[in-house]
Amino acid sequence: MDQYSILGRIGEGAHGIVFKAKHIETGETVALKKVALRRLEDGIPNQALREIKALQEIEDNQYVVKLKDVFPHGTGFVLVFEYMLSDLSEVIRNSQRPLTESHVKGYMMMLLKGVAFCHENSIMHRDLKPANLLISSTGHLKIADFGLARLFNNDGEHLYSHQVATRWYRAPELLYGARKYDEGVDLWAVGCIFGELLNNSPLFPGENDIEQLCCVLRVLGTPNQHIWPEITELPDYNKITFKENPAIPLEEIVPDTSPQAVDLLNKFLVYPSKQRISARQALLHPYLFSEPLPAHHSELPIPQHGGKHSRQRLQPPVEFSVDLPLSESLVDPALVQGHAWCL
Amino acid sequence: MFHISSQKKYWTFDNEESLEQLRCEANQKYRNKMLASGKPGVSDAVFLEAHEEIVLFRHYEKRLLDFCNAFKPVMPKSVVGTAIMYFRRFYLNNSLMEYHPRTIMLICAYLSCKVDEFNVSSTQFVGNLVQESAAGQERALEQILEYELLLIQQLNFHLVVHTPYRPMEGLLIDIKTRYPLLENPESLRKSVDDFLTRATLTDSGLLFPPSQIAMTAILNSASRAGLSMESYLTECMGLKEDKETLLKMYDAMRRIKSLMKKYELPKPDEVNAYKVKLERVHADFGTNSNTKRKRGYEDDDHVAKEPRMTEEEWTDEDLDLDDL
Repeated sequence: MDQYSILGRIGEGAHGIVFKAKHIETGETVALKKVALRRLEDGIPNQALREIKALQEIEDNQYVVKLKDVFPHGTGFVLVFEYMLSDLSEVIRNSQRPLTESHVKGYMMMLLKGVAFCHENSIMHRDLKPANLLISSTGHLKIADFGLARLFNNDGEHLYSHQVATRWYRAPELLYGARKYDEGVDLWAVGCIFGELLNNSPLFPGENDIEQLCCVLRVLGTPNQHIWPEITELPDYNKITFKENPAIPLEEIVPDTSPQAVDLLNKFLVYPSKQRISARQALLHPYLFSEPLPAHHSELPIPQHGGKHSRQRLQPPVEFSVDLPLSESLVDPALVQGHAWCL
Repeated sequence: MFHISSQKKYWTFDNEESLEQLRCEANQKYRNKMLASGKPGVSDAVFLEAHEEIVLFRHYEKRLLDFCNAFKPVMPKSVVGTAIMYFRRFYLNNSLMEYHPRTIMLICAYLSCKVDEFNVSSTQFVGNLVQESAAGQERALEQILEYELLLIQQLNFHLVVHTPYRPMEGLLIDIKTRYPLLENPESLRKSVDDFLTRATLTDSGLLFPPSQIAMTAILNSASRAGLSMESYLTECMGLKEDKETLLKMYDAMRRIKSLMKKYELPKPDEVNAYKVKLERVHADFGTNSNTKRKRGYEDDDHVAKEPRMTEEEWTDEDLDLDDL
């Protein structure tokens, strides 16, 4: 702990306080997450163990927040993360109007790369939501808070808790009490986040678990064995019945959106988990390769933590276009000079 | 994903000599610390020798295995394997004289349940100390919670252990699909399981990737059943053209088998003699646990003045599992 000087408090997590601090030796700003062990009945909380477990076992990835160090402190221990300025929920909250399509694509690219990386390393996050997607001072999006993350086996034998994921982003199988599920729960959450970026407001803002299910059913239509064969095996399927109603086309849910965006959203928001598009496949979706192209991270807005105003970012002189000659869409090098370090 | 794991990076060693050296260093480090402390009664003669520590280590490791095997609800094999690996990693850098193995073994099992998501409550866990009174279980629990952090710190916060059980299942599936020469691979399972359990009680997990241990277990069980599976390596694994890898594989298999051959349970009279020494060291120079708790664990060199209250501790006999 002597190696750090505390600069301030960032917030409070489920298992302790998060501080902003400076690593004295390198001058680097970091986030310290203190996990205090009060007289906890079962000792070190599973959430803390899971977070350490998941983050210790994966190689560095640009789109996953880096655990730099863990050390014991007092009666608990401290997780040292790279410091991140803000998070996606703040970006959404602070933008006056919906993000531009190119911004949405930029965030989606980074989110999908991070999720693909986790899934390829057999980690399901289980709590993806805008507040857990941190934004760095360079505009990078990184997945954080692996407190619910699980290393998964594909043997289909494991029972998991269904009380995971923040309600608005919780997949329908979890809402029906599933104990066996897979990384599809993350892909559902990605779909919800995508919709939220497009609309600037949450897609399924249920106030309680039942209402959450109603929100989802209202849009996707009442599920039946025909479109979702596994539904009958879900623990809470028989406990609750809903009035038959048809699906609403997603075009009406996310109006003013390109057909390609709707098409991709449609591929995330499907009932059977196995049919949801994987993060890796989604990265190849035409949506991300058509105009306007995804914004470069240096073009994305970065709200100050807790602040109201977005910092005005450098804007490229022209919109990038796939059809224009390359020379016309080049950025004047003088403009990016001051930002070259973040490239 | 073993190839990017902390196990491969930090806990797989080149040879047995480096392991032996680490253990000798741990023994020496403790001696030096005690000799420097100037406590009354400290002399070279009271300490356990490194080879004596190994005997006791084996004794407690076996007890850990028995405890796990008797555990209710039934503990999955990977949880047991993880617990034993924690125990081995812990005493690679620590002396039994500093931290009593009777406590550490339980914490290893407890932590491994949590890390491997085998969810048992703390009360349920100590409920498995069937020889204990409720008060004794309570005390055991206190000690577990007290030293849990120390354990994960000594494990360098590397919590994920890759045991050979998953690669073993994978190999069996592969054999069933691609190696019809072996008629009934399932018939090997029992002896493969036995092999892997015995392998956990050796340094093999600190020297070899789990998949090699699993492969050795299968080939060895097959050859004991009179079945040669050499063509599985050369044909199915494509090692025919790659002599170098094939020879490395043979060498690893030979070394794993020799580690297992060398293993023997410690003799009771030796165990008893060294236990006397161990208890003496802990009673005379042991760290008072309560002080330690208040101070946290950041101060590794911290040694409390007060000897620990032996009558308050739950004893070795309380933990007797032989009757189970």
